[in-house]
Amino acid sequence: MNVHVREDMERHVLRADDGIVMGEDLLKVDHISLSFGGVKAITDISFDIKKGEIRAIIGPNGAGKTSMLNVINGFYHPQEGTITFRGKRRRRVRPYETAREGIARTFQNIALFKGMSTLDNIMTGRITLQKRNMFWHGLWTGPAEREEIEHREAVERIIDFLEIEHIRKTPVGRLPYGLQKRVELGRALAAEPALLLLDEPMAGMNLEEKEDMSRFILDVNQQYGTTIALIEHDMGVVMDLSDRVVVLDYGRKIGDGTPDEVRNNKDVIDAYLGVPHE
Amino acid sequence: MLYREAGDFKTTYREDNQTFPIKSERVLFWAAMAVAFLVVPFFVNSYWEKSVLVPLLVWSLVALGLNILTGYCGQVSLGTGAFMAVGAFACYKLMTAFPGLNIFFVVILSGGVTAVVGMLFGLPSLRIKGFYLAVATLAAQFFLVWVFNKFAWFYNYSASGQITAPQREIFGVIVTGPNAAPWATYLFCLTILFLFAWLARNLTRGRIGRSWMAIRDMDIAAEIIGVDPLRTKLSAFAVSSFFIGVGGALFFSVYLGAAEVTEAFGIDKSFLALFMVIIGGLGSVLGSFLGAAFLVLMPVLLKNIFVGSLGWPTDVAAHIQIMLIGGLIVFFLIVEPHGLAQLWRLTKEKLRLWPFPY
Repeated sequence: MNVHVREDMERHVLRADDGIVMGEDLLKVDHISLSFGGVKAITDISFDIKKGEIRAIIGPNGAGKTSMLNVINGFYHPQEGTITFRGKRRRRVRPYETAREGIARTFQNIALFKGMSTLDNIMTGRITLQKRNMFWHGLWTGPAEREEIEHREAVERIIDFLEIEHIRKTPVGRLPYGLQKRVELGRALAAEPALLLLDEPMAGMNLEEKEDMSRFILDVNQQYGTTIALIEHDMGVVMDLSDRVVVLDYGRKIGDGTPDEVRNNKDVIDAYLGVPHE
Repeated sequence: MLYREAGDFKTTYREDNQTFPIKSERVLFWAAMAVAFLVVPFFVNSYWEKSVLVPLLVWSLVALGLNILTGYCGQVSLGTGAFMAVGAFACYKLMTAFPGLNIFFVVILSGGVTAVVGMLFGLPSLRIKGFYLAVATLAAQFFLVWVFNKFAWFYNYSASGQITAPQREIFGVIVTGPNAAPWATYLFCLTILFLFAWLARNLTRGRIGRSWMAIRDMDIAAEIIGVDPLRTKLSAFAVSSFFIGVGGALFFSVYLGAAEVTEAFGIDKSFLALFMVIIGGLGSVLGSFLGAAFLVLMPVLLKNIFVGSLGWPTDVAAHIQIMLIGGLIVFFLIVEPHGLAQLWRLTKEKLRLWPFPY
């Protein structure tokens, strides 16, 4: 662990110091139901995410995993149920407000800002941390410039951490898929989130890229102490990375527990995992 | 040899953030500014002022304003003509209501008034996007022009329905009205444009610009990252209208001198500004200038060639000129859809390696 990362960790621990001890509930989802017209996407789901853990959400296609993340994000508003984040029961919020509370996210289909460079994309992740208003930005020289440089330093540490120095100034539209995924992770990390939601971070990657991404996820979790909720279809990755797994099927929760418990859960095997051929 | 970045090392983030990262670019820029500020005023005559320089400066300002909204924030607007009219009428009302107020502040205040009106018409942008928003801003165009025609208060109940700019001075130098010297109006517009270009660059290089571009490139991801869409879009509308309002105020008070709203600020002006931005390059400060230069200077140049050098009748020349400009627009859009600014960027990339191809 180099000096920068350690400094960053210390700063991060300070920022995330919200009175929640490692291992206690960071986010609690209680009896959430979500439907679109007559279609029930999520039915009465409850689970918790403890601070400092990697929590996987798995299940077959259409099980409601991404909908669940969208609910946590504030992008969908459930008809029933409550969400408690950092000990506070949440009222109806807009997505940019959850971002300010410390929830960052990556997307299943890459959602980078195509017209901007890697650097600008990751800098955008720090938008909630930048405070100078339009007046100072109009003047530029002075407080606004100092603030920009301060955040540039933090972003450069993330670029260093993700090993993407060489593409710093490349427009992201020109990058290969694997690197785009990495930039997207960088953008989410830049917000210094308390909870990081990753929607299929390894979809469409080759083995080497998956290994790199797994290493980054573990490093983020261990070095920065960031709590991670992860949706992934690669069971090898899920079982290796996560501390606890919640399994959804047809909008209902069918399993919850450590990877080993889930692997041996009959419902989960029937619905999703299947039995290996002898 | 002239354009090299070898040996030009950046050791601080501040240096890395410079507007012109390469030394020869900086030299070129400041040399051009020195010529524009210190040399041109001594040679400018009435013809150059009225048909080339002042329209170029004013339209650059308007294009810059529209580029902030459409190029940086991705909100298509067809209300530019009307927002220019708001600036012009605000300028006229302020000039006649407060004769003692310095024209510089009148122009800036007119921009402020336009910013408020622009924000008001920007409200629908939260719900509607793309072409539909363009149609909504088209409503602003027709509505505002109608308002300025309908209510005589706006043109101080003058019989002709025209607004006429009274004579105003800065530091004892006349800059508006029929007695203004060409160099004075030129310098006045140039100074304001310089200030606003600097402002535009500053706003677009940091957090504000990034939040605009985030909304432009992918609004849902932007919101999930923490960009408040309402505030961001409205701020783009406000800043853009501010620029366009100042442009409209200058267009009326310095360039036209007298204006009638339907004729001076019709829908054709909205389209002209949009073409400038598209041809120049969306999302580029330089592109606004290149687009304005293309659409302001090209007609003048062609007219001089056809009528002045070749001696064609003016009506034939005028038609051929329209066709040629249309053709050139199509040509440039096919060659480089990202505008003249992108062409310039590519030229720089090539120059960097010249004379070697790789």
